[in-house]
Amino acid sequence: MSINSEKLLHSGLFIFTKFIGLRVLKSNTFQPISGLATRGYLASIAGQPGGQSTGVLAAHGEPNRCGLHTSSALCWERPTGPRKFLTHNQTVFPPTPFGEQPRPAFVCHMKKNIKYSPSKMWYVACLVRGLRIDDAINQLKFVHKKGSVAARETLEEAKELAVKEHNVEFASNLWVSESFVGKGMIIRGYRRHARRRFGKVEYKYCHYFVTLEEGDPPEHYYPFRRPRTPQELLEEWMEEQRRRTIIKSL
Amino acid sequence: AARITSSLSRLTLFTPPSYVCLTPHSRSYYTPKDPNYKYFRPNFAFKRKHYNPKFKKDRWLKVTKVELPEIDTKDDVDKMTPDEIRAKMKEKGIQPTRPWQEKPIVISSTAGTFEPYVPPEGDGKLSTTSKAGAKQKFQFLEKKGKSMMAIRKIRQYDEDFDPKDFAEEAQKIYIDTHKALADFDKVRLHQTVTERAYPIVTHQAHRSTIRWHFLGSLEPPRVVHARCTDVITTDNIFAQITVRFHTKQILAVYDRFGRLQHGSEVVARDVLEYVVFEKHIANTYGIWRIHDKIIPDWMPPRQPTLKTYKIEEIKEEEEATPSDKESKDGVAAELEKPSISVAHA
Repeated sequence: MSINSEKLLHSGLFIFTKFIGLRVLKSNTFQPISGLATRGYLASIAGQPGGQSTGVLAAHGEPNRCGLHTSSALCWERPTGPRKFLTHNQTVFPPTPFGEQPRPAFVCHMKKNIKYSPSKMWYVACLVRGLRIDDAINQLKFVHKKGSVAARETLEEAKELAVKEHNVEFASNLWVSESFVGKGMIIRGYRRHARRRFGKVEYKYCHYFVTLEEGDPPEHYYPFRRPRTPQELLEEWMEEQRRRTIIKSL
Repeated sequence: AARITSSLSRLTLFTPPSYVCLTPHSRSYYTPKDPNYKYFRPNFAFKRKHYNPKFKKDRWLKVTKVELPEIDTKDDVDKMTPDEIRAKMKEKGIQPTRPWQEKPIVISSTAGTFEPYVPPEGDGKLSTTSKAGAKQKFQFLEKKGKSMMAIRKIRQYDEDFDPKDFAEEAQKIYIDTHKALADFDKVRLHQTVTERAYPIVTHQAHRSTIRWHFLGSLEPPRVVHARCTDVITTDNIFAQITVRFHTKQILAVYDRFGRLQHGSEVVARDVLEYVVFEKHIANTYGIWRIHDKIIPDWMPPRQPTLKTYKIEEIKEEEEATPSDKESKDGVAAELEKPSISVAHA
């Protein structure tokens, strides 16, 4: 990305030749060999154990697609953006022993490369923390910020994923346990000012991460912010009173 | 200076001579221009827009336009169809690249079951020791013409082939597959299951914990059907044999979080299955592996799931398999009495 931004500053043009060219290669190799594809029997490519393997059979794929799949070594692109967050979706916990409380389900979801500033997106993320999923989505509908659209889409997708893949029974029984923003790439431009002065313009991207958990949300999401009970207030007051010293006393 | 005059003009005594009249002064929103008035005092309190729209174009020209890349949106290259990509490339003036790649393809299993076995109705419901069960005829494999021809073909390549011995071997492979699936041992799974069946068997298996126990056979395993097919050339022969298993099993599937999703660890169930085994007999190193399972229409529906779910409406245009939302039970579908037929590419 930095190479492209330099190009930008010098030429003012923005061409992703390398970027798109490689991706085109990837899509081109998807064209199956038409003669073989028409035959219903051909569906798998694999080596015998220890042989040369070229790909994985996709039996579940779209019905119109042929089962053949080849990918070229040239097409491998270095993965960009956040990757580690979604690995939390793959952790498998051992069965809960008899007598213990069942573990609540959770699903992690993210939306990458939202064209919005992370510092502005932070406000949207903070609003949604600790709310039930339906409340969160409804609140985001009335937030007059660009990032709220992306946040709402993420929440809705996460809700669907929870039911489809993570064995959540009731979609509305979820609450937002984690909601935070990560910094994405920044494309730098420039602008003219009066009197031969120039200013930097930054076009910022951000990533939005959400974790939904099954069950009821806690009463106070931030424990340090919860209102104190009368007993706690009394204790605090007593402590303060005892801390007093009488100056110039013996 | 304009601000001072505007604030001063709010005082009733002072009226500046150049203004025609005092317009309603809005602090929070844009005041629309009334055509009756010739001149309007600019509202400096409205900060969302510049107070003088006359130089808007010049201000816009000051900022150099940067074409921002569209990533993870509808313009993402991964999600576009090849025609759309071609159109985009034409726009940008990029020539398409030509990858000179030739990859050898090895075909080690067929795409489905050739002439699948149709199990007779009422099979497995009556015990063979009862009077009614003894009367129930099951046709011996020797009397079936096509199956006999297929077995003779297999004997051409493999001289010591005997259906009775094969049935025992098949049961071993069956048990091995289930144990490998429970442990999620990919190496063993690939040896006991064909490439076509592998994604179906391991569907969502990596995301769940499976506990499976084989308690015993209620009836000895029996070869019921045999067929041979050739792929592309007439020499390249694959043999498919259907074996009938009537066994007692325990299956418990736990989801990602350790909650019981299907079955039970304590209650055993009788399982009647017709499993298709395939071998690439033209290949000297071919091995018998599980290829498919035949689910007859008369099979009773499987155990209901522990959780409730919504059934998606089946659209008439799509010819896909019934789209029940219980995709999580895909694992159980391969192991117990399912009602969804196995799909293939």
